[in-house]
Amino acid sequence: MANYTVEVEVPPDCDVEQAGQTVTIEVDEDDYVLDAARKAGVWLPADCQQGWCTTCAAALLDGEVDQSDSRRYYDVDAEAGLILPCTGKPRSDLRIRACQHERMLDHRAAHDLPPGSSKR
Amino acid sequence: MAQKPHSSGSVAPGDTTQRVGITSIEARGVDVEELREKLIDAIGAEFTTYYYYSNLRMHLAGNEDYKEITEDARLEDRAHFELVLPRVYELGGALPNDIRDFADRAACPDAEVPTPMSDDGGFDTSGMEVEDVLEVLLEAERCAIRTWSEVCDMTRDADPRTYDMASRILQEEIEHEAWFVELLSMERDGEINPAGHFVRGEPGEAPYSTNRRFNDSA
Repeated sequence: MANYTVEVEVPPDCDVEQAGQTVTIEVDEDDYVLDAARKAGVWLPADCQQGWCTTCAAALLDGEVDQSDSRRYYDVDAEAGLILPCTGKPRSDLRIRACQHERMLDHRAAHDLPPGSSKR
Repeated sequence: MAQKPHSSGSVAPGDTTQRVGITSIEARGVDVEELREKLIDAIGAEFTTYYYYSNLRMHLAGNEDYKEITEDARLEDRAHFELVLPRVYELGGALPNDIRDFADRAACPDAEVPTPMSDDGGFDTSGMEVEDVLEVLLEAERCAIRTWSEVCDMTRDADPRTYDMASRILQEEIEHEAWFVELLSMERDGEINPAGHFVRGEPGEAPYSTNRRFNDSA
């Protein structure tokens, strides 16, 4: 089983213990990034953990993620460089920026897609 | 002896533009806007689940025990919606005017009947397996557990009223998960995986969360 290195940028305004830091974790190819981060002590925000609510949204800065397990993930999300780590499996080493829920809501609203379309 | 003024904190006596029920939890670190938005999402999921479970229950023909258990979960999810709805308004929020917006922002996925639609617009149930319905039910409960656990995290030691509601709901969602783990284990795998529970005293009893009943059966 392949194992990938994931660098997680945690913005300073993110309500996470590691705010302002970049944390490096290891994630197996069959594991979700969010679960691996939480098991490593980085308690990133999340809610449904089924790729639906977008609470966990993050920016993909580098690498490739498999979002096929997500219940509500759109092509325009990938085009905008936004991922859902709760149901995202690494397909390469990654660098992501966590805590992008508000950006995801704005992005979805701009494309008239839920849940942003009902919150903006 | 001079009469003492009412204790007023930062809210002037008689001021109806503010609620101490809000300022007191803000003072303890709660982001009230974030919380009430989360609550709307969470009860949106309870409401949509109530709807979708109605449909799932209808498609468990021949499995009367499964139907009854699904009915308990269905009615208890409605009780969860009823329990928390007033809290949304207490915190300055409101339900969306358009039910489509409410459904779109629900915290959990739509628990749809796991079968394609037929050419005439109905459900094509020819290939539908009971275990597939049970898996939809199970995953819906798991989402609810995660959601209410998050609400508990947001309110613990700071907002006892919301925390109490969320923890009551969480108790029942955890029981629902156990029910569907038991049923799916036997139906799909032939394994005994006890929930540890027996039937509710009455349909949808909601022993932890019942707030305001609509009628004698809910």
